[in-house]
Amino acid sequence: MEYIGEHLLIGEIGNLFLLIAFAFGILSTASYFIAEFKQKDDWRRLGRYAFWMHSIGVIGMVVTLFTMIFNQYFEYHYVWQHSSTELPLRFIFSCFWEGIEGSFMLWMFWHVVLANILLLVIRNWESPVMTVVASIQVFLTSMLLGVYILEYKLGSNPFTVLTREHPDFVNLPIFKMPDYTSVLDGRGLNPLLQNYWMTIHPPTLFLGFSLTMIPFAYAIAGLWRKDYTGWVKPTLSWTFLGIGILGVGILMGGAWAYEALSFGGFWAWDPVENASLVPWLILVGAGHLMLIQRKKGTSLFTLFLLTTLSFILIQYSSFLTKSGILGDSSVHSFTDLGMTGQLAISLLFYVVLSAVLIAWRWKDFPKNENEDHIWSREFWMFMGALILLISAFQIEFSTSFPVINKIFGTNLAQSAERVEYYNKWQLPLAIVISAIIGFGQFLKYKKTDPKDLFKKLSLSIVLSLAIAAITAWAFTITNPLVILFIFTSLFAVLANMDYFIRIVSGKLAHAGSSIAHIGFGLVMLGALISTSQSDVISENTSLYDVSVLGEDFNNNENILLMKDDTLLLGEYFVCYRGKEKEGIFVRYEVDYMQANEEGELESVFTLYPFVQLNPRMGNVAEPYTKHYLDRDIYTHITYAELEEREKSDKFSEHSINLGDTIFGKNTFMVLDSLNRNPSRENRGLSESDLALGANFTLYDVQTNAHQIQPLFVIRDRQYSFSIPDSVPDVGVSISFEGIDPEAESFAFKLKESDPKYKEFIVMKAIIFPWINVLWIGCIIMTLGTFLAVYHRLKKR
Amino acid sequence: MKKTHIIIVVVIAVLIGAMIGAISDSSSYADFEEAFENPESEFHVVGQLVKEKEMIYDPVSNPDLFTFWLRDINGVEKQVLLHKSKPQDFERSEQIVLIGNAKDQVFEANEILMKCPSKYTDGEVQSKESASI
Repeated sequence: MEYIGEHLLIGEIGNLFLLIAFAFGILSTASYFIAEFKQKDDWRRLGRYAFWMHSIGVIGMVVTLFTMIFNQYFEYHYVWQHSSTELPLRFIFSCFWEGIEGSFMLWMFWHVVLANILLLVIRNWESPVMTVVASIQVFLTSMLLGVYILEYKLGSNPFTVLTREHPDFVNLPIFKMPDYTSVLDGRGLNPLLQNYWMTIHPPTLFLGFSLTMIPFAYAIAGLWRKDYTGWVKPTLSWTFLGIGILGVGILMGGAWAYEALSFGGFWAWDPVENASLVPWLILVGAGHLMLIQRKKGTSLFTLFLLTTLSFILIQYSSFLTKSGILGDSSVHSFTDLGMTGQLAISLLFYVVLSAVLIAWRWKDFPKNENEDHIWSREFWMFMGALILLISAFQIEFSTSFPVINKIFGTNLAQSAERVEYYNKWQLPLAIVISAIIGFGQFLKYKKTDPKDLFKKLSLSIVLSLAIAAITAWAFTITNPLVILFIFTSLFAVLANMDYFIRIVSGKLAHAGSSIAHIGFGLVMLGALISTSQSDVISENTSLYDVSVLGEDFNNNENILLMKDDTLLLGEYFVCYRGKEKEGIFVRYEVDYMQANEEGELESVFTLYPFVQLNPRMGNVAEPYTKHYLDRDIYTHITYAELEEREKSDKFSEHSINLGDTIFGKNTFMVLDSLNRNPSRENRGLSESDLALGANFTLYDVQTNAHQIQPLFVIRDRQYSFSIPDSVPDVGVSISFEGIDPEAESFAFKLKESDPKYKEFIVMKAIIFPWINVLWIGCIIMTLGTFLAVYHRLKKR
Repeated sequence: MKKTHIIIVVVIAVLIGAMIGAISDSSSYADFEEAFENPESEFHVVGQLVKEKEMIYDPVSNPDLFTFWLRDINGVEKQVLLHKSKPQDFERSEQIVLIGNAKDQVFEANEILMKCPSKYTDGEVQSKESASI
């Protein structure tokens, strides 16, 4: 069938760019390899030109795909799958990287940007480093090819036309129209990703991922050239830039989870979260080993191990999230696109390459026979790196259960107490790390006098002990490990502040690392206090006794709020005022009140948690949080009846005479008498109205009698209407519809509704104290890292 | 023995400890038969919602209890007490993973993971008037 209006040219252009990127990627890798192997400069130049062509290809692809999404060419599978006409323009970037293909392109794009900056400053390391870089790009580009090689589909192409990707669609009526493109709409973006954090978190995270490539490429180049130490100096700034940006990217993910997801917190030890944290931990270890390497020249094995691992673990994280292997163990992962094999090969290639090179060169590493002194900075930096390695291993091992199951046929699964399990291991490690951060700065290279050290540290130790004691008392913390961690993280903050003021005397040029460490200490402190002291104020405090369900039943985190009822949650009186529908959002108005001096309830703030309606992908509830300087109040709708309850109101019409009885569902009522001159007060009647009242005695289920009097009104002698009367407790309302003079009967309309039904929400409310310490720490850590990188670059 | 060696030994010991700890603290996937044979241990049970059988969520009496029936991969159906509020779009779930343990005749779940028909399931095409074709 011939279609009209398909934009086929742009897809061809996209594929052309893809082909350029792939072909020149291979050419660049090969040329650089030969250049290093034969030490020929013209090959190096060829490699460089090829890499530039490859860069044009990658940037061209990005621009093409973006143009397709922007112009809503739904005839393309990727655009159709991730976008729709109703999607607000501000989420257009999120569409770009929602899918696997787009996220690969984002990753490649950053590699290209970084590699081109690198080419400007690289000097004599170009050939071996760029061989590695270009080879990585070849693997990544191959993920987008979407061609079949002997039955095996290589990659998934982002420029595929919808009807090509789904040949079965041709039979659908919409594709019988030649101009189907004018009516076709996309499937839309996952509602969870329709959040501003999703516009900045992925590119930041991927820039962090990409930055691990540079130390990796240099490390491989160093091993290749047998120059085991020369590669460290040009790598340092990149590594610390990577530490800063990856750290921010991870915390942005946490901020997104905290703002938009329902689990109530910024970190849940989810496999996908772990998969990005672990490479960061390793990169931090590698960066610090690089620092001591510059001073003393040992522990090369650990340095090479950590540097190569940080990039390999990024690849592993890409494998975990994109192969679909995490399947039902994570909420964030992609679905399988049949690329598991290809992803595994790319990962294994670099694992084998690194392992073989390190093993091969090991004997050759320069050895230092003198052991580090225990009171030396290098010793404790090395210890810190080892502890980070242990921490990373512990997290990654448990995260890898699905992979272990696949390889060994086991059926391991993470316990439901995932958070407790990870905390049990990570808390002691974090205590040691924060202590090392505290005193590490005061240690000198080679040897320090312990007496002098303790004298310098005494102020920070005493101060942090005092603040920790006050904090423990204020929050009534009894867990000794938590108190110890509060102490050590405070010590990390204060000791580094002390170092910044007394030793560096506030000079910014040398202050980067102490500022970064202050920030890190604050992140630890904020994370610890906000999570360990978080208070679920919606815990079931109502009449309902949950203990009858068994002693281990303590999952009572949600509370039911009837509309207009007020409940005491923590120190707030909380009232659910009602809901409002606004486009695809249903907002629930939850009012938090406190008693004022006169003892009256006064609204302190109002929160609007909402549900995003999405009939195709499922409705998504998003929390709403009130931020104070010292705490946050998080409120989340866990359950609400979204569909309007079936109109349970039933009408019945009755035509009766005096003395007759109307039978309702739960009531009956007798027409006792008529009143030609009913009371006009409060019934909205004017003096000129003619009104007839019908006096009923209504009996409810308990046979209580109620008197009601609906009115029949003739206004201005022109038109008539009824003023109904009701008994709300019974759920009955009756209106007087008319008079039939001939039959001498009277018409009534009875409305009955379920009196017990009231609108309600089930919600969860949590107070997170001091969570701003975490975010402030994050900003300080980033600034400190960038400051350190900036001054390192300036020195050059 | 040198300090370095002691450190290496300690690190390796901790790494092995972490592995053993991870495995001993782990739960495992099982079907209902195995879960009900070992009521004391925690399992992950994969299955599907039995749509024909009753689902009870009465938030007025307890917002943290939701009862439904799950059919495991072998077709065994058991009643489940989920100690959470009823998840949004529960009826749409294609696959459910429960984490919990058996108690008498019911499975008590503390955690639930659902797989809903995602954006990746194809076969439905939308036109701009947002009617399914």
